[in-house]
Amino acid sequence: MALDPRTKLYLVALANLLLFFHVDVVVESLTVLLLLLPLLGAGRWAAAVRSGCIYVLLLVGTWASTLDDGSSWLHMLGLLCVGIRMMMPCLIAGIYAFTTTTASQFVCVLRRMRIPETIVIPCVVCIRFFPTIHDDYHQIRDAMALRGIAQGTFALLRHPAQSLEYILMPLLMNATGVTQDLSVAALTKGIGIRGPHTCHTEIRMHGIDWAWMVICTVPLALGIGGAW
Amino acid sequence: MTQQGMSTKSRHLTIPDLITIGVFTALYFVLVAMATLFSSVALMGFGMILLPAVAALICGCVYMLLVAKVGKFGAISVMGIVVGLFLFVSGHFILSLAASIVFPVIADAIARAGDYRSKTGILASYVVFCYGLTGPILPLWFMKDAYVASLQARGKDSSYIDGVFAHVNTGTFFIAMIAVLVCALLGGWLGQRMLKKHFAKTGII
Repeated sequence: MALDPRTKLYLVALANLLLFFHVDVVVESLTVLLLLLPLLGAGRWAAAVRSGCIYVLLLVGTWASTLDDGSSWLHMLGLLCVGIRMMMPCLIAGIYAFTTTTASQFVCVLRRMRIPETIVIPCVVCIRFFPTIHDDYHQIRDAMALRGIAQGTFALLRHPAQSLEYILMPLLMNATGVTQDLSVAALTKGIGIRGPHTCHTEIRMHGIDWAWMVICTVPLALGIGGAW
Repeated sequence: MTQQGMSTKSRHLTIPDLITIGVFTALYFVLVAMATLFSSVALMGFGMILLPAVAALICGCVYMLLVAKVGKFGAISVMGIVVGLFLFVSGHFILSLAASIVFPVIADAIARAGDYRSKTGILASYVVFCYGLTGPILPLWFMKDAYVASLQARGKDSSYIDGVFAHVNTGTFFIAMIAVLVCALLGGWLGQRMLKKHFAKTGII
């Protein structure tokens, strides 16, 4: 089962509404369950099970914190549990949207939603550039190790300001170079052409998308309607 | 080289400008992710409240270099909007999208007033830009309300609840906001200094 990227965006927005309306725990856990199912459907078993377990633990934590009257640290724990628990629907929807959408699908959705190219192009470049940062970072660390600077895992934390300068400056230097290369490459591929652009990836809303959007909205609607 | 010449003349954002913005946004986003990791792991749970301050401290160079490279109205706003979009898609609170549109646009206007050259102007705009990241920490206040509601539902009286939350109040909020101001000033100043040290000499900007 693969949902349309627009459905995923809708689910993220829906999870935000849960946070906004302070819905009841029953509504919240039902929605979490409904949000976990597509994650399972996409084959992300580990992520689904992990988030589910964390949510259950937080439920237990919330419940346990109201048992005792006196101690205030228990209330801090309770507040922490409630806080993270309320974020969980958003985080689960976010994990689903982020890990199962390819870059080209995301771009296609942005274009379909009539978002101007001024926003779309930086988004494309941004997604494209993350792996480059990752590679550059490792090369910089290698170069630093070769000169005997900040070897080992926690060495960076010993001189935070120095680490920041030694890592960030080469990254920025490289970024300014890459910017020019990317510009030339992208202009050659016709990114600057006026008029509508076509996409290799096709996206389409299927019956299951509409159905899942409705199903996920039901608990929230009932919760606001006062059924719980 | 002609492309470069043209893009400095044009008052609107060109395609190379947009690509530059994209690259710097990616760097900014990675730094924000690091700040999130640091503030939630090293400072434990509620350190999340200091996220905008930590980010403000380390993102100065990226911002300053972006302003120096593009120097047109729109660059800062677009960066803010793209960051907000990524935050929203990755499951952050929806108000973080609103905050990361409103504050960068104001920051852009401030930097424009100094024609993207005035050092104090850019520093001031960086401070405003940093408040754009306060979005992700806003739910903390919702959470307190929700927890109070759950206590009330269990039949605790309100004076007892007030006692529990005596030290989680608007004071914490103001401390967090002042921390952003201080860190942004410091981070922005550091960024400008690093830029001068590493980039101005080599003629990159």
